[in-house]
Amino acid sequence: MKYFKIALIIINILYFRIDALAKDNTKHLDEVVVTARRPMKEIGVEKTEFDSLALKENIALSMADILTYNSSVYVKNYGRATLSTVAFRGTSPSHTQVTWNGIRINSPMLGMTDFSSIPAYFVDQAALFHGTSSVNETGGGLGGLVKLETIPDAPPGLNLQYVQGIGSFSTFDEFLRLSFKNKHWVSSTRVLYSSSPNDYTYINHDKKINIYDEEHNIIGQYYPKEKNRSGAFKDFQLLQEIYYQSGKYDRLGLNIWLINSNRELPMLTTDYGDEREFENRQRENTIRSVVSWMHSQSSWNLSLKAGYIFTWLAYDYKREITEGFWADMTRARSHVNTIFGNVEGNYYIHNKWQFTASVTAHQQFVRSEDKNIILQQGDKAMVGYDKARLELSASLSAKWQPLYNLGLGIVLREDVFGDKKAPVIPAFFTDWLVTETYCRNLPLKLTLKGAVSKNYRFPSLNDLYFLPGGNPDLKSEQGFTYDAGFNLNFFLTKRFTVNLSANWFDSRIKDWIIWLPTTKGFFSPRNVKTVHAYGVETNIQSGIDLGKDLFLDLNGSFSWTPSINEGEKMSPADQSVGKQLPYVPEFSASLVGRLSWKTWSLTYKWNYYSERFTMSSNDFTITGHLPQYFMNNISIEKNFFFKPMDLQLKLAVNNLFNEDYLSVLSRPMPGINFEFFIGLTPKFLNGNISKRNIYENMDL
Amino acid sequence: MKSNFAVILFILLLLTGCMRWDYNDELTDFNIPSNGLFIVCEGNFQYGNSTLSFYNPSDNEVQNEIFYRANGMKLGDVAQSMTIFDNKGWIVVNNSHVIFAIDTETFVETGRIENLTSPRYIHFLSEEKAYVSQIWDNRIYIVNPKTYSITGYITVPGMPLSTGSTEQMAQYGKYVFCNCWSYQNKILKIDSDTDEVVDILEVGLQPNSLTIDSEHRLWTITDGGYEDSPYGYEIPALYCIDAESFEIIKSFQFSLGDTPSELQVNSDGSRLYWINNDIWEMDIHDEMLPGSPLIPYNGTKYYGLTINPENNEVYVADAIDYSQQGMIYRFSPSGDLIDEFYVGVTPGAFCWK
Repeated sequence: MKYFKIALIIINILYFRIDALAKDNTKHLDEVVVTARRPMKEIGVEKTEFDSLALKENIALSMADILTYNSSVYVKNYGRATLSTVAFRGTSPSHTQVTWNGIRINSPMLGMTDFSSIPAYFVDQAALFHGTSSVNETGGGLGGLVKLETIPDAPPGLNLQYVQGIGSFSTFDEFLRLSFKNKHWVSSTRVLYSSSPNDYTYINHDKKINIYDEEHNIIGQYYPKEKNRSGAFKDFQLLQEIYYQSGKYDRLGLNIWLINSNRELPMLTTDYGDEREFENRQRENTIRSVVSWMHSQSSWNLSLKAGYIFTWLAYDYKREITEGFWADMTRARSHVNTIFGNVEGNYYIHNKWQFTASVTAHQQFVRSEDKNIILQQGDKAMVGYDKARLELSASLSAKWQPLYNLGLGIVLREDVFGDKKAPVIPAFFTDWLVTETYCRNLPLKLTLKGAVSKNYRFPSLNDLYFLPGGNPDLKSEQGFTYDAGFNLNFFLTKRFTVNLSANWFDSRIKDWIIWLPTTKGFFSPRNVKTVHAYGVETNIQSGIDLGKDLFLDLNGSFSWTPSINEGEKMSPADQSVGKQLPYVPEFSASLVGRLSWKTWSLTYKWNYYSERFTMSSNDFTITGHLPQYFMNNISIEKNFFFKPMDLQLKLAVNNLFNEDYLSVLSRPMPGINFEFFIGLTPKFLNGNISKRNIYENMDL
Repeated sequence: MKSNFAVILFILLLLTGCMRWDYNDELTDFNIPSNGLFIVCEGNFQYGNSTLSFYNPSDNEVQNEIFYRANGMKLGDVAQSMTIFDNKGWIVVNNSHVIFAIDTETFVETGRIENLTSPRYIHFLSEEKAYVSQIWDNRIYIVNPKTYSITGYITVPGMPLSTGSTEQMAQYGKYVFCNCWSYQNKILKIDSDTDEVVDILEVGLQPNSLTIDSEHRLWTITDGGYEDSPYGYEIPALYCIDAESFEIIKSFQFSLGDTPSELQVNSDGSRLYWINNDIWEMDIHDEMLPGSPLIPYNGTKYYGLTINPENNEVYVADAIDYSQQGMIYRFSPSGDLIDEFYVGVTPGAFCWK
């Protein structure tokens, strides 16, 4: 029992707050109460959680960075502040559902989410629900769900934190957090501003510059050293949260998230236009808000949520005709209004049963204006659409733990989008605690898991109504997914913990929607493919107490995710059947290692994607594939504790080996680059709170 | 403690990788004096994966990615068309805002015209003058092929820049005719002496291609727009226009929902060809559209069409799913399959050498 207690404490230290230990020489560790029983809701669920160390590593990171280095999900991005989408289990970006405090934040127009616009510092809890497991929370997650949440907590009293980041390419990041907490109220205000011309230098291997003689004959050529053109960004984000705790049972919450983003879209490596005469820019104003009420009793709880999202998105592509006179080539505007409501109740019977009922509604109003045209009669008109859709999702679930080591669960979900209704989505979950024992006097726990579900994803509003090309006759994408895996926790030594998990999945998605060109010069979506996505996902987390205040925390993942087109041939000449989908790596891996010593910490991040094909036929032509991808980042941090304030210094080095590389065709990435962060945490605002409480919220 | 650091060091060494963004600096020395067919492959928008292929019909040999292999650089993003003039092949690369000129035997670049808005086609008037049509621009650029420079513009009257669209060009005497396609319904008549639009003729919605026959008559096909388009949606049609009087002589209507495109003429300008799911052919004197196709639809969408000016063989491009190597089918003048070969992604345009 003594060893078990020590083990629990070490888990608490290593898994949750290594940094706190490193910063706090006094090592006041609270003994935690740990129950062997997992939450009923998570029976059979395959979930990857991101700890606060990952989320709060530095203020410049977006959720795209978090997913890249802390999971084996493939993140396709073009560099900082550019569109970042994910291929979760070999599926398309719109197959990954994303929720923030319960409200779905996938674009109702596109179906996908841009993870580059979600600052990791605005997220307190993040988790991936793999495949079938997403049915517990939402429908449509053929690949899975990314669940993002903020938590109603802050250090007691009034607290302030300010972080300034100064980096390569004149990049500036500023973060301010002001929080207040007393017995009933918690208030937190977070502000983030990031800007950069983002004009990094690279050798352009896709282009050559000609050297001419006087008669304009080419007498030489060379690959130019160019700057990233048209890549500037200015992003402002604000997150305001207010919570009121009334006694033991009720909590009211308000979350408001504002985004004002102004981003240029970088020019391709093969663009011979003059940067000064073209403007390619995307602007976004978004407000996301959620009000919530939660009532908890010992055997039941109920939560009500209501929310509203407004997004104004502008895309401008302009050409300078004469000096100072810019003419629109494309002027697209979209207005999205989403009204959200959710009610969810849980009821428990003797720790054996949990029943959950949930109803969620998203009412979408979308106005998309893509082009101004002159009609034949000379009048002006807009090409676009103006549509509304009510998206309802209701679920009933029962989780049953008939034996201490056996859990069973069933979820029935019904999705209705507009006048289209999907058949009931069934999902079954089970897990089996095979053993919970001691090996060489050290605890060991092995759990097996399994799940199966059918899932549907409705077409996005652009899929249905975009002009030109929208196809109102599209069917929902649908697929069966099977999951099986294990989770093994053990100690190699008293100071060396290991948490190892592996999961096999197999998913067949029918009526996969892809946009294809038409002979009329525009694209149109069609249900064409059947995709067989399968593979293995593994994850290992390890904490090692190296002694003498030295701790090493490792988090690694590896995935093998074939995603194979098994549809009908589109033409007798079609070579894509039986091939891996474009831009989906078959193998991916990541590893984060954190070494902490007293007030120092060193973080090493590594990420690998195998070769990605850019063509559906998987050809090895010059532009048909991208070589395998390795990336290495490192950061070092030092904390100082002074009387009036604490000071945190951090240096982050990205692309450590100065790789000259492309992640996506024709999109150059920056070489080695640096960002230095300085964090200030005044103590004079609140002298009586414990140091540890400050540290909990003050990672750079 | 030492062993711990050794483990860490070992792990770090394992994690270092090396990527290289270069393809292969080795160039291919082409020297192909024979006649043949250039195939312009658009690639995918924003991928920068346009390519150029060359096919020799006499030995059925195809060479792919010849621009890259000869020059060590990419062709660019969305190569739209190619025209041969003065023994140079001029490749218009739409979303790279550039036109490359290459030697037609070695495929080595001889020069380039940069900083165009969104070029589509080039039409040569002399060694020192050519017109470049554009989309998203209401100006036809005037360029000097000798100096590879932009020398002026022809602004299209009444056409706003944001929906500007000038496409294919055909010449009769000193007049150059140009169809205006995207959200347009016009054929322009341009005086190449004054570089001005001197007349505009309205046809059906969205004329997408233009050619001229042996009797100096212009032919254009309209696609009719699309359903729910605020600009309109109508039955596509084939128009015959007298180049001298610039008046419509006759027109032939397809069916609503048809998607005719890629209008071509044969070597002596006596027969017309186009794609409308199948491949169709008719004599320029016919008074009705043909009842049956020359080459029936075979379960795929044909994307490009050309006729061999030497023997009237028909070449059809199949873009398949637009994200893999497309297929070119070579048919006899009577529609029998002679050969087939893979080229680059989205083959859309041809150019005979």
